[in-house]
Formats: sequence, structure tokens, C-alpha cells
Amino acid sequence: MSSPAPDPVLKSARREAIVVLLIWASALVYTIGFCYQFGYHRPVEQIDFILGFPDWVFWGILAPWTVCTLLSGWFAFGFMSDEDLGADGQAEDAAEETGEVRR
Amino acid sequence: MTDGANAATGAGVGTVAALLVFIVASVWLGTLAQRAVEKGSFLKGYFLGNRGLGAWALALTATVQSGGTFMGFPSLVYSFGWVVALWIAAYMVVPLTGFGVLGKRLAQLSRRMGAITVPDLFRSRFESPAAGLMASLLILFFMSFMMVAQFKAGAIVMQVSWPGSGALTLDEAGPTGGDYYYRLGLAIFALTVVGYTLIGGFLAAVWTDLFQSVMMLIGVMILLPLALLAAGGLPAASRNLAREMAVQPPAAGDDKRQENSLPVEGRMRALDAALRHYAARNGGRLPDGLDELDQPVAELADGVAYLSGGVAIDPPGSMRRTLVAITLKDADGWQTALYSNGVVRSGKLGRPGELLTGPGPAGFHPLGMAFSFFFVWVFAGMGSPAGMVRVMACKDTRTIRRSIFLLACYNMLIYIPLVVICICGRTLLPDLQKSDEIIPRLALMSTGDLWGGSFIGGLILAAPFGAVMATVSSYLVVIASGLVRDVYQRFINPAASETTIRWLSYFFMVLVGAIAVAACLRPPDYLQSVVVFSGTCGAATFVVPALMAVYWRRATAAGAMAAMGAGVLTVLGLYSINWLQGEFKTYPLLGIDPIVWGLAASLIVGIAASLASQPPSRQLVSKLFDAPSPGR
Repeated sequence: MSSPAPDPVLKSARREAIVVLLIWASALVYTIGFCYQFGYHRPVEQIDFILGFPDWVFWGILAPWTVCTLLSGWFAFGFMSDEDLGADGQAEDAAEETGEVRR
Repeated sequence: MTDGANAATGAGVGTVAALLVFIVASVWLGTLAQRAVEKGSFLKGYFLGNRGLGAWALALTATVQSGGTFMGFPSLVYSFGWVVALWIAAYMVVPLTGFGVLGKRLAQLSRRMGAITVPDLFRSRFESPAAGLMASLLILFFMSFMMVAQFKAGAIVMQVSWPGSGALTLDEAGPTGGDYYYRLGLAIFALTVVGYTLIGGFLAAVWTDLFQSVMMLIGVMILLPLALLAAGGLPAASRNLAREMAVQPPAAGDDKRQENSLPVEGRMRALDAALRHYAARNGGRLPDGLDELDQPVAELADGVAYLSGGVAIDPPGSMRRTLVAITLKDADGWQTALYSNGVVRSGKLGRPGELLTGPGPAGFHPLGMAFSFFFVWVFAGMGSPAGMVRVMACKDTRTIRRSIFLLACYNMLIYIPLVVICICGRTLLPDLQKSDEIIPRLALMSTGDLWGGSFIGGLILAAPFGAVMATVSSYLVVIASGLVRDVYQRFINPAASETTIRWLSYFFMVLVGAIAVAACLRPPDYLQSVVVFSGTCGAATFVVPALMAVYWRRATAAGAMAAMGAGVLTVLGLYSINWLQGEFKTYPLLGIDPIVWGLAASLIVGIAASLASQPPSRQLVSKLFDAPSPGR
């Protein structure tokens, strides 16, 4: 007996979850790495300001945040697929069904 | 000073009006929700909104931003400077992680199994009433903590905004149970929140949450330009912070220590007077050295470092100021500082520039914690039962997609401006004793001259109130649904009629509200720590089992329960190291927050226990993991 095909929602959801976790990991490594390298224990005279933000905040937090927001847009409108989630399952208890019948 | 008097009046009338708006709107939304509930079966309508949640409702309410985060976050920026932007930075991915990892499958599986609550889902997925019950009990456990803390916060907001009470801050350490206004506030708050949640159930919680989120955004968008204008722009404000030496926020017991500094502060004030006397006769400039002062200053100069030779003095209370003189550190590490605008401050002083760099004053955010907080915000959002229920309640996958983008935009528009506002605030009001007051004071200060200003200021002040209400109503729904559906209907009386269910739901909501009120008569401290604790527990307990339930065929009931147990025990164990020493504080093992250890333990134990136990029934797994056969 050949194994049945996996649920399409499962497949797409798994793929999307992996992409999200990769984005999360990249954001973590970049943001913390950059901020630690250029923002921690730095002599204050060396810090430049970009639009009033310390340079390490601008490039280390603001920039990735913008990228992630754009990535969210791409993910939402270009990558994540729409699936049929299925009809609402019947609740198991009779009382529910009786309630609905009574209506 | 008339400013102070006006500010106090503004806090009274404007805030009460704004709070009334919140309360009336919430109750109205509750009645609207009740009508929507009537459409389907009671349980599904009351606890799940008949799965009709649209993108706006899902996006702006699923990552339940509680009163704790909204109250605490601005005060942290004020106290610790730019590094707090890193503390909050993980929110850049929270929209993706909150909806994009579990969302689709949770929505699908909960429909397929007819699950209304998270314990429902676990019970059906693992064919294990024990797993469902364990989830219920754990949810009840953490959420109770949160509930009590939030009730207290709500009561404090009401107390603060009542005209005549005089207080301006959401200082959680402030009132004791005996205070009249506090009790009055608690009563009003409890009646309002329990009231509208009872009327409208899940939808009421969601719609009021949405309303509050929108109000918060409006408040921030108003305050941002006002604060920037007052501070003279962000570059000026940031540069100002470079010279600033942060005074470590007062800890418990510091009041007494503060008294010890009074004699020293008196000397510094005398020094200030002498310096002003000199400046008045020398074109406003300070002397090059203290020996140039012609009054006898030998005592004054003892143990004092003089820093500002030749600099101009500033008028008393001016915004611009430079450090003039500072005492040596005493046995406690305390110093007293005198500024060119006459301000005298005592405490543990940091070094200049700490507000512009990491880890920030007093080593606020070391690398290990920066790493950990990229887990905290992400997984606390993913593992929150209130959040998961909202995803289960959404209309379709299109809703999920739109929510991701909506929330991403919203987060950028809220958090980054809040950081900017509080950095400006640090320049405008550098000497706040209670850093919690920064948003209220800024709001009043900058809206005072506007038309309708006190109401606008009131809206901003009332935003934390809205956040607290939203959290409480969400949790009331989760707790009541847990008690009614997962405990009563499952184990005590499966054949209960709809009328019974309905009245039981109302009863449990009132009961939970009453217990929270009683607990708040002797309120706990440390609202924020409780919030973080609750979120951390939730994440360590539910994230791994949810992931296993949704993506792993081989996951078993034993594995899920073991994962829950391992996660919560690890977190409790690490916290208890500090509890036994009398502190309610997180214990960062090896500098890493308990959430990371909890998640790791949960993952390892969950996988091991699943593999070690009997595989789940092939039929069930096929039903949930395989493509539906044609004709089903």
C-alpha cells in the first residue's frame, strides 16, 4: 500500500514555518552581532548620529527592522499560500448539536 | 508653580473623560459582540467568535501587549537610553513568528477537530484527556498570576486619574491596600472589565483590544511630533545624552539611603549659591577653580571634584545643563552631583555616554540577555494561549497573511516612535524621580497648550489603562473557557445543556474577577516581573507541544505532556533560585534567560518521550496529516 500524500496545508505550512524561523535566526544574528560589535562599550566620542539615531542603532536595529517589515510584506503577499482550512468540525458532545437543532 | 497646578487639573478632568470614553466604548462593543455570539452555538460563539475574526482584529490583538509592557517599556528607555531599542528589537520578527509558524495548521486542525480552546486541541490531537487537562491546569496557573497583576495595574490607573488623588504615576510600588482611591479604582475597573467581557465573551475581548491598540497608535502619533518639537529634534536630544550621567533607578530601600545624602546635598546647594554669586559678578561664567570663590569654601570643596571651569552657568531649572561638581563615591557607591542649572542629584551615577551605548547604565542589557530577549518576545507571543486561540478563530488564510503585514507596520509605528519619544523625554525632563511618569508627564506637558489638549493628554494617559483592560478580558475568556469547556464539560457533566453552559460561563467569569479583586486588596509588587514570568512560563510550556502537535506525526500524548512538564519545571526551578532569596526576579543561568533553558528542556524531553512511548494511532495521524481522500 503506497503511503498517502501529505495534507497540502501541512506541506505549505511546514515550508513557511521554516522560512520564518530562518528569518528569525538571521535577524537575531545580524542585530545582536552588529549591535554588540559597534554599540557595546564604545567610547561615546566615536559615535556618529544619523537622523538623530546613534549609528549602531540606525544600522543595527532600524535597518533590519525595515528589512523585516518588507520581508513580512513579501511573505504575506508573495510567498504564503492560501489554503482551504476545511469546514468547521462537529463538536463531540450532543448538547452542542441539540443546541444547534433547537435554533 | 502654575504649571504643576495645571498639570494636576489636566490629569484629573482630561483623563477621566478619556477613561470614560474607553469604558463606554468597551461596554458598547460588548453588547455588539453579544449579538454576534447569538448567531451560532453558545460555546463557539462565546469563546471563539464563530471563527469570524478578520485581519485587523487578528493582527492587532493576537500578540497581547499587556499593561506591563506598555507601562514598563517607556520607563526603561528613559532610564537606560538607546540600548532599550535592542531590548525590544525582536518585535521586528514577531508578526512573522506569531502567525507564520503555527497559524495555518492551528487554524486547520482546530476546525477539523472542532476544538474551541487550546486544551481542546491537545486533547483531540493526542487522543488524551490527560494532556488536555494538564494544559488546562497549567494555563489556569500562569494566567492567574497575570490576572491579579493586571487587576492591580488597572486599579492604580483609575486611582491615579481620579481628580483629587494627586498622583500622576503608575507607580506599582505606590499604594497599599488601605487607600480609598485604590479600592474605588479597583471596583470600577473590575466591574467594567468583567461586565463587558461577560456580555460579549471572546468577541468583546477582541474588539476592545483592537480599539485600545488603535487608540495607542493615535496617541503615539500625536505625541511624537510634539516631543520632537519640544526637544529641538532628535539629533539635539541624542547629543545631549552623551554628556548625561545616568543615575541608577532607585531600588527598594533607597529612600532611607537617600536621607543619608541630604547633608551632602545641602552642601552642594550652598556651593551652587556661591557659584551663582560669582557668576553674577563675572558675566555669567563659572570660576576656573573653586579657590577663586571669595567666600570660605574649604568645607564645601572637601571631597568634591569640580568639572566646569570657565563654563557658563544656566538659569535654575533650565533644560540645558552641564555637570558642574561631583562628590567622591562613598561606602555605598553613591555620589552627589551638582548641575549648572542648579539641580542636585544623589545616587549611583554611571559614566557619560552610557545612555548612548550598550550595555547601558548599570549593565542593563548584557550580551546574554540581548540574545535571550530575541527568544522572549518571539516565543512568548507564539506560545501564549490567548494568542493561539485568536489564530484558531480567524476566518481564512488570507486573513492570516494580511495580519502579518498589518502587524509588522503597526509594530514599526509604535515601538520606534516610543523609543524616540522617550529619548526626547530624557532631555526634556532629565530629573524624574519616578521614570514611570515619563509618558504621562510628556503628554501633559506637550498637549497643555493645544485646543482640547487635556483630553488628548488624557487619551495618552489612558492608553495603558486600555492595554490592561484588553489583557484582563482576554485572560478572563481563556480562563472561563478552560473551566467550562475543558474541566466541567469534559470531566464533570458532558451532557450539560446549553443553558447550563451559558450560566456557568458567566459564573466563572464573575468568580475569577472576584478572586482577582480579593487578591488585589493586598496587592503584589513587581507587575512587570510577573508579566515576563507569565509569558516565559507560557512559552516554555506550550511552544514545543504545539509545534509537535501540528508538524510531527510521531508526537505522542506522553511526549506532549513531558514537554509541558519539562518546560514549566525548568522555568520554575530557575526562578525559585531567586525566590528562595526573597526576590521575585528572573535567574539568568550563564547569563541566559530561563526561557531559553525552558524551551531547550521542553524540546529535548518532548522528543525523547515521544520516541520512547507508543506511536499514536495511524488512523488519527492520517486524518490530521494526510491529504483528505476524495469524497470525504
